[in-house]
Amino acid sequence: MASKISIEDLAKIRKETLRTMNLREGSGKVKMNVHMGTCGIAAGARKILEAVLSEVETRGLNDIIVTNSGCAGLCSQEPMMTVEVYNEPAPVKYVSLTPEKVKKIFDSHVLKGEIVKEYALALGSETTV
Amino acid sequence: MIKLTIDGKQLEVFEDTSILKAAEKAGIWIPTMCHCDYIEPYGVCRLCSVEVVKGKRSRIVTACNYPVREGLTVRTNSERVKWIRKIIMELMLSRWPNVPAVKEMAEQLGISKPRFESKEKDEAEDACILCGMCVNVCNDLVGKGVLGFSKMGIEREVVLPYNERSEECIACGACAYVCPTKHIKVKSLEYERGAIQDWSLASKTAIYVPTMQAVPRVPTIDEASCINKQTGGCKACQTYCEPGAINYDMKDEEIEVEVGQILITTGYQLMDLTKMPQFGYGRLDNVYSSLDFEHMLNSTGPTNGTIQCKDGSVPRAVGIIHCIGSRDENYHKYCSRVCCMYALKFAHLIKDRTTAEVYQFYIDMRAFGKGYEEFYKRLLDEGVNMIRGKVGEVTECRVDGEKPFLKVACEDTLIGKFREIPLDMVILCPAIESNADSSDLKKIFSISQSPDKFFLERHPKLDPMSTMTDGIFIAGCAQGPKDIPDSVAQASGAAAKILSLISVGEVAVDPIKAEIVEERCSGCRICNNLCPYGAISYIDEKKISFINDMLCKGCGTCVAACPSSVITGKGFTDAQIMAEIEGLLAI
Amino acid sequence: MAYRTYLMVCAGTGCVANNSMKIKEKLEDELLKRGIHNEVSVVTTGCNGFCAAGPLMVVQPDGVFYQLLKESDIPLLVEEHFIKGRPVKKLMYTPPKEKSSIPKMSDIPFFANQTLIALKNRGLIDPEKIDEYIARGGYEALAKVLTTMTSEEVIKEIKDSGLRGRGGGGFPTGIKWETCKRMEADTRYVICNADEGDPGAFMDRSIIESDPHAVLEGMCIGAFAIGASDGYIYIRNEYPIALQRLQVAIKQAREYGLLGKNIFGTDFSFDVRIVRGAGAFVCGESTALMASIEGKPGEPRAKYVHTVEKGLHDKPTCLNNVETWANVAQIITRGASWFSSIGTGDVSEDAWGGSKGTKVFSLSGKVNNTGLIEVPMGISLRQIIYDIGGGIKDGKKFKAVQTGGPSGGFIPESLLDLPVDYEELTRVGSMMGSGGMVVTDEDNCMVEMAKYFLSFTQAESCGKCIPCREGTKRMLDILEKITTGEGTEEDLVLLEELSYMVVDSSLCALGGSAPNPVLTTLKYFRDEYETHVRDKKCPAHCCKALIKYSIDPNICVEKGHGCGVCSKSCPDGAIIGESKQVHYIDLMKCGKCGICYDSCKFNAIYIE
Repeated sequence: MASKISIEDLAKIRKETLRTMNLREGSGKVKMNVHMGTCGIAAGARKILEAVLSEVETRGLNDIIVTNSGCAGLCSQEPMMTVEVYNEPAPVKYVSLTPEKVKKIFDSHVLKGEIVKEYALALGSETTV
Repeated sequence: MIKLTIDGKQLEVFEDTSILKAAEKAGIWIPTMCHCDYIEPYGVCRLCSVEVVKGKRSRIVTACNYPVREGLTVRTNSERVKWIRKIIMELMLSRWPNVPAVKEMAEQLGISKPRFESKEKDEAEDACILCGMCVNVCNDLVGKGVLGFSKMGIEREVVLPYNERSEECIACGACAYVCPTKHIKVKSLEYERGAIQDWSLASKTAIYVPTMQAVPRVPTIDEASCINKQTGGCKACQTYCEPGAINYDMKDEEIEVEVGQILITTGYQLMDLTKMPQFGYGRLDNVYSSLDFEHMLNSTGPTNGTIQCKDGSVPRAVGIIHCIGSRDENYHKYCSRVCCMYALKFAHLIKDRTTAEVYQFYIDMRAFGKGYEEFYKRLLDEGVNMIRGKVGEVTECRVDGEKPFLKVACEDTLIGKFREIPLDMVILCPAIESNADSSDLKKIFSISQSPDKFFLERHPKLDPMSTMTDGIFIAGCAQGPKDIPDSVAQASGAAAKILSLISVGEVAVDPIKAEIVEERCSGCRICNNLCPYGAISYIDEKKISFINDMLCKGCGTCVAACPSSVITGKGFTDAQIMAEIEGLLAI
Repeated sequence: MAYRTYLMVCAGTGCVANNSMKIKEKLEDELLKRGIHNEVSVVTTGCNGFCAAGPLMVVQPDGVFYQLLKESDIPLLVEEHFIKGRPVKKLMYTPPKEKSSIPKMSDIPFFANQTLIALKNRGLIDPEKIDEYIARGGYEALAKVLTTMTSEEVIKEIKDSGLRGRGGGGFPTGIKWETCKRMEADTRYVICNADEGDPGAFMDRSIIESDPHAVLEGMCIGAFAIGASDGYIYIRNEYPIALQRLQVAIKQAREYGLLGKNIFGTDFSFDVRIVRGAGAFVCGESTALMASIEGKPGEPRAKYVHTVEKGLHDKPTCLNNVETWANVAQIITRGASWFSSIGTGDVSEDAWGGSKGTKVFSLSGKVNNTGLIEVPMGISLRQIIYDIGGGIKDGKKFKAVQTGGPSGGFIPESLLDLPVDYEELTRVGSMMGSGGMVVTDEDNCMVEMAKYFLSFTQAESCGKCIPCREGTKRMLDILEKITTGEGTEEDLVLLEELSYMVVDSSLCALGGSAPNPVLTTLKYFRDEYETHVRDKKCPAHCCKALIKYSIDPNICVEKGHGCGVCSKSCPDGAIIGESKQVHYIDLMKCGKCGICYDSCKFNAIYIE
């Protein structure tokens, strides 16, 4: 159980978390973010998450961060996943995924650093005003 | 105070007044169909829609719940308002075309035929128009919340929870009272089972004057049926009582009065007729007890004095059965003494008020009072059928297409035949019994009961109003079944006896009394309950028993019973008796 | 005859199944239209093997490979590639190892035209990790408010920002807070309305699912501003994921002391409870919602006394919807002037003078990109539908867009350049509502659409007041009559009159807005109603009672050789005809299901 935090703690948490969120220094080489809003789940995001986890397990990878987040907005192309590789300039958003596609993404993007273009929607993340 | 203008009229009203109330004050009529003064405005019929003008813009609000604001301009009869009301009435008329309240309102607003055809049309005259007043009365005023709405939209309806009779319902009738279409009816479950006293349930109010001759003649609140006593809600009477005389906190009080003599006139009860199911009381329609029938005869009773069956029809034949439970080895062996004569009175009144045939089923006619025999003879001349014989049972017969009737089976001992008489109404004459709690009373006053449970007089011929306990008198049916003249005579006699003692101012008592030697009494209390006159009581502070000289008759029971031999008869101590014996032996 | 370019359209089974023949026809049409049909030839080829990307086309001699073509792509493609000579990258398939073909997010119009405030964390943080929210600047606004601002300053900031209620009414949030604060009371409440009941709308759900802490932080700030210590979130139970994420978020915030007693060590205390709604649409109405929290039937009451004066338990209550709350923290962090720089109008004098910030819409219906979008106020409907939504599906013609949920109005093409803000949408008979946006095309019958949405509001009416209960049902009856061909001219007049009356005299906003779809379609598409009534025809071929299916005997025999597929697929056995002969539809038996229409490969069946 975490204890109550003070205002100074906010900055500390921010710094700590940003490190893992942005794949700096060590914690992981690849971050895979499956978009799991209701729309994504309805389109099969749970299967995608399962596939990602089982790929990580069967391949014995230990430097992959698997996480999830809410709807990315483009509901017509769910399930979606954002893959971010350390040292690459921008994260890649994959759309209309299936477990087979996940496998392929592992084969080429995660392991060899080659983006699977036919599944990719775009590079980068949305910017806020 | 707030100033506003309604239809060009300037007026000033208190804050928090609704437009509706303000308009009422100005003498302007605004139609409503879901509003009544007892409850918070609900605002669902929207008939009270009015136009509120603010600068150049105007908007529609409901007058019943829109609180007045300073400088408000209201139009209650603009074209826009009239148009809204017209369509609302058309919607209502198309759904409930035959409800009088709806028709009347439509007529008042000048609408005759709706342009809509409603698929949910309900042609009943007492259809529910969903105004919600019943629900709100039950919730807000009564505080019970028994009624509610179920379903949504067009399917909305007023229901009891799960559509079942609710145990929570206190049958106050408030919902039925506010219902503008008489859709809600209060029905007595007892009435369903046929007992006539319940006919008047709905009209009996929680506030009433106990009897028309009551002194002082002030109303009282019936705690059992007052909504406030049950739920803490309502308080309608308090709102309307201008002098502020309603006090819900008043309680029944016990008042102690010290008296020297007591006259017990606790009366009687009628036998429970359901103990004799063969006569069908409480089971069959139109089988009444004599008291029920008396209720019906009363001009202020449920039928305003007309003699009628439960379905409202006039009976074609009425039977009066005597001796129900009286002169009966299984119930009461004694004669109840009054039934023969009131049965004759009933027969006379039935003959007088209807054209029905009357049958009397009797064992013996006992018309022994002054003028009674003559009345009996007159009845015979009026053509009342007298059948001598005990009735076996009363049953209901149904013949297809006709209304059911009752059949009385009896043996007519005068012609020696078994008969079955078809009747529309049967009146039973139940036995007079001593009250169920008379044994408790007996203990309190230390008096006796005869085997029939009526209080025992000191001497049946010479002292019929005294008891064995001095100062306790009895009169009326507490002593035994009797009619009104006999009761009055006995009560007057008892009162005279009491007065004669009071006028003397003192009581001469027998000197022979028992006496307790206080110092030696162990306080075992054995004597307390043995005393037949209730003269010995126990004094808590001293922890000894005490003999009331006024009540002690000197019978000596306690003297013999006292284990410590501390009770002696005054003038009859052991030493005195021994001395007397010695004196006798010395001769 | 020599051509400069050959277009090899794949006619393999896979591509034909994906409509490649339509693409070919469209190409030919387009080339003809542009007058280059003599330069460019369209050729069909056998299967190319890359069926997953079909329908596809190879341009020779350039060797450019286009994939996943749609009819709507063709005009652009012809224009760009064959006239201007610029290959359309968007449609190209580029072989692996060439990085350039993957566009940036900012290059994709769907994302590029959006402006994220309420959704700024969508897809970026794990909603179940409070640390990630904090990492993106979360709870800093709350810290700022509690340590450096007075409640009056917070209210002023919100007022200056021009934020207005995102739930439908568009009431200025700052004024609401100020009134609530001014009321004398020992207790005040804040409520978050997450009872999003509009069919097809999921803005609130999505915000809570992707960023629940933004809502909590907003509520905390609001509670501080009005002086409340208790908050409720009324969320519909049909949102299990949102509900669960909210519960996790509340738990985490409590553990960090961001909810509870003495937040950040100040003397401000605030906690939130979740109340689950049972799914009644009317419970999204503020007074009905409060009645529901109190445990009473969810029915609205007259709001002549506002909820900020007497709301929940008769105490001053400040109710805002999810999206409104999600904007609060950002306004505090980045300042009112930043927020008010986005949007339309001027709110410095009159709080109703403009629409500021962004609005989240759920874009659905006949557009190519459906989804959740956040756009700046003042953007035009055309931009939303064509730039973000990617235009109408299958190249059909746009007909109308409905905004604001089931009780919003339909806006026709002539008003597509309308800037999206509260006043403009209301002016044309629709509303902002909570942000539903349904696009319809030429295949949608407007009478049918109006009937559809009215049947929803009619079924969701609580039934309390007569105009809404009886009125909407009678309106629906009339629409039913019209769509079955039994309507009369008088019915149209009556329908319009009834609609206006229901708007005028209903007790709450549900009834007050339910006729909007009817009124706007009557206004903008009256000809469709009139065709239904006068000619007993449905121009969009939607109303079953008014259409009939027929078989063109020439096509049937000449092209299809009386194949008989239609008669085999007809569930009613209504199609008669010998094999290789002309087939006929027995109209007495025809159930008008449309299966034959879909099954005929030769388009011999048509609708009248």
